[in-house]
Amino acid sequence: MGHTVALIGGGGIGRVHARHWQALPDVEVVAILDPRGHEARVAGDPPHFSDWDTMLGQTKPDIIDICTPTSLHREYIERAAASGKATFCEKPLARTLADCDAIVDVVRRSGIPFMVGHVVRFFPEFAAAKRLVDAGGIGSPVAVRVARMGGMPGQGRPENWYGSYAGSGGVILDLMLHDFDWLRWCFGDVQRVFAKGLYQQLEFEGQLDYALVTLRFKSGVVGHLTGSWAHPSGLKTSFEIAGDGGMIDQDSTRTTTLNVGRRNNIEEGDLPKVVIPRNPLAPLDDPYYQELGSFLEAIRNGTPSPVTVEDGREAVRIALAALESIETGKVVTL
Amino acid sequence: MAHKTRIGIFSFAHLHADSYASALVSSGEIEFVGIADPNVDRGQAKAQQFGTTYFPTTESLLEKQLDGAIICSENALHRSLVEASAHAGVKAIICEKPIATSREDAESMIACCAAHSAYLGIAFPCRFSPVFTQLRSLVQQNGLGDILAIRGTNRGRNPGGWFNDKALAGGGAVIDHTVHVADLNRLLLGKEATEVYAEIGNGFYKGDFDDTGFLTITYDDGVFATLDTSWSRPQTFPTWGDVTLQIVGTTGVVDVDLCAQAMTHYDDKNKAILSSGWGSNFDALMIAEFLRVVQGQPSQILATGEDGLRALDVALAAYKSAEVGQPVKVGG
Repeated sequence: MGHTVALIGGGGIGRVHARHWQALPDVEVVAILDPRGHEARVAGDPPHFSDWDTMLGQTKPDIIDICTPTSLHREYIERAAASGKATFCEKPLARTLADCDAIVDVVRRSGIPFMVGHVVRFFPEFAAAKRLVDAGGIGSPVAVRVARMGGMPGQGRPENWYGSYAGSGGVILDLMLHDFDWLRWCFGDVQRVFAKGLYQQLEFEGQLDYALVTLRFKSGVVGHLTGSWAHPSGLKTSFEIAGDGGMIDQDSTRTTTLNVGRRNNIEEGDLPKVVIPRNPLAPLDDPYYQELGSFLEAIRNGTPSPVTVEDGREAVRIALAALESIETGKVVTL
Repeated sequence: MAHKTRIGIFSFAHLHADSYASALVSSGEIEFVGIADPNVDRGQAKAQQFGTTYFPTTESLLEKQLDGAIICSENALHRSLVEASAHAGVKAIICEKPIATSREDAESMIACCAAHSAYLGIAFPCRFSPVFTQLRSLVQQNGLGDILAIRGTNRGRNPGGWFNDKALAGGGAVIDHTVHVADLNRLLLGKEATEVYAEIGNGFYKGDFDDTGFLTITYDDGVFATLDTSWSRPQTFPTWGDVTLQIVGTTGVVDVDLCAQAMTHYDDKNKAILSSGWGSNFDALMIAEFLRVVQGQPSQILATGEDGLRALDVALAAYKSAEVGQPVKVGG
């Protein structure tokens, strides 16, 4: 049985999703809802809509995929739940805990299949690390570090919701959230949070953000996170898990597998002048393909969501605790 | 003609003593008078290795009219050896880090050396790293704008022995590994640490000493830093540990690894993969400056007792923070 998808929001992540939905077997993107109209072109070139009811009535999608700015997540989840549609929502689940609670409530009551886009769980190096730790490869984990560092997204756009503390929650809620979720997946619930960062320092808003967060897990594991929108070039990620029987470390700057340098005076074909280092994976191993495919499988088999609405809420709760710690200067116990 | 500068080393309890002794021997301009060490076997072996004389007691070596003393004992014994050297008229003393295990001891050492006009230096060799020197000049030339944050690591393997004895070491990984980066940060920022938060644990070795330390340090006017002091390097790690800094400024970022100048050595004979450093020897550069100070020249970058105390304050605040579970003020 085939499945049809309506994409809500055709920005950066929406375009990635559309491409992978189209690549999945027996899936078709049948609608895109985006106020930008035809500017928001995605794979499959589905018809554009500006009105929810019209879109729903005309295309009758099986799955709603919400790729809007964070502030709109709750509204579209509520609409999708009211229509009984399986719903995928990009991270973060919401900007506030009140919105998260409302979302958890509506998802539970409606019983719709629901997944939050914590895609880092599907990145092969992050997934492999969990498998290795779960298999006892480093003994009991003790101290964990993870870093995610890149530039401020959305710079140069007339309205940059990423750059707004109120809109995105800054680097902690938008970027480090990935790692809060991954760490919680690997090491369980967090007991307390202490953080320092540039959050609410208005002179940097929309320009750069940087935060260093320390977590103590209920298991006793200590965690440290670096989140940066202050790094000028490309996204870099790294992690290290040290246990009482060994350690693993991973650094994307060391595992970039295709480093191409092309002399400027040689121009051939349509290749860009600036070549970005790449990490090729087989199409089926692509983290977004894996992520959306796992949701599709859960829908088709009626099995639990790989990343639940509660998981989405917990990651936001840790991020909000970090923001609170920055504002109060105190430890925040969850 | 002036006599050759006379230097003695007090105790080889700290593993860095070997490196300082090698630097002394290779400097060639001084007289390495001897080694005093209460551990007879160790003292005699080291005296033989470095071609000098073994002295069974501190007093017997101090009778030899030393110009300079190098103190490499267990942390808790620094005070008595430094003060005995100052009392004996030694002109310049360099003491292994941390300066002491308590603020009271550190203040007493500083006061005693001042009263006897003895120079008290603290062994912070990372200050002499050419990588750090380059970084410092980049910062001084405003190459990163205003510094907003520093993420530091000084991780290592568990050195074992007396380092795991709180009475002699003053603590575990936190007191051992906080002070280097605390000192570097202070030098880079020209600011004092005001507040420390720390998560401290013993998960690696489950001993009665700490082996895990994640510190958050705040400086005058809000610059923030974190520092990982953990003995988290496994036994199979290819080297002793690391010293790294990531610095974020208003106009740029920089990542520094003081020990990255190394090649990988795949050693079949010993079934090990090792990191074999080839960068400049910070210890030798530090001892060279110490010898110039002994000879009466002003110090350039060598850390003072006051610098040692400021770094110790951060470690002591970390222990206090872990006890109360909240950030605490530094010093006092």
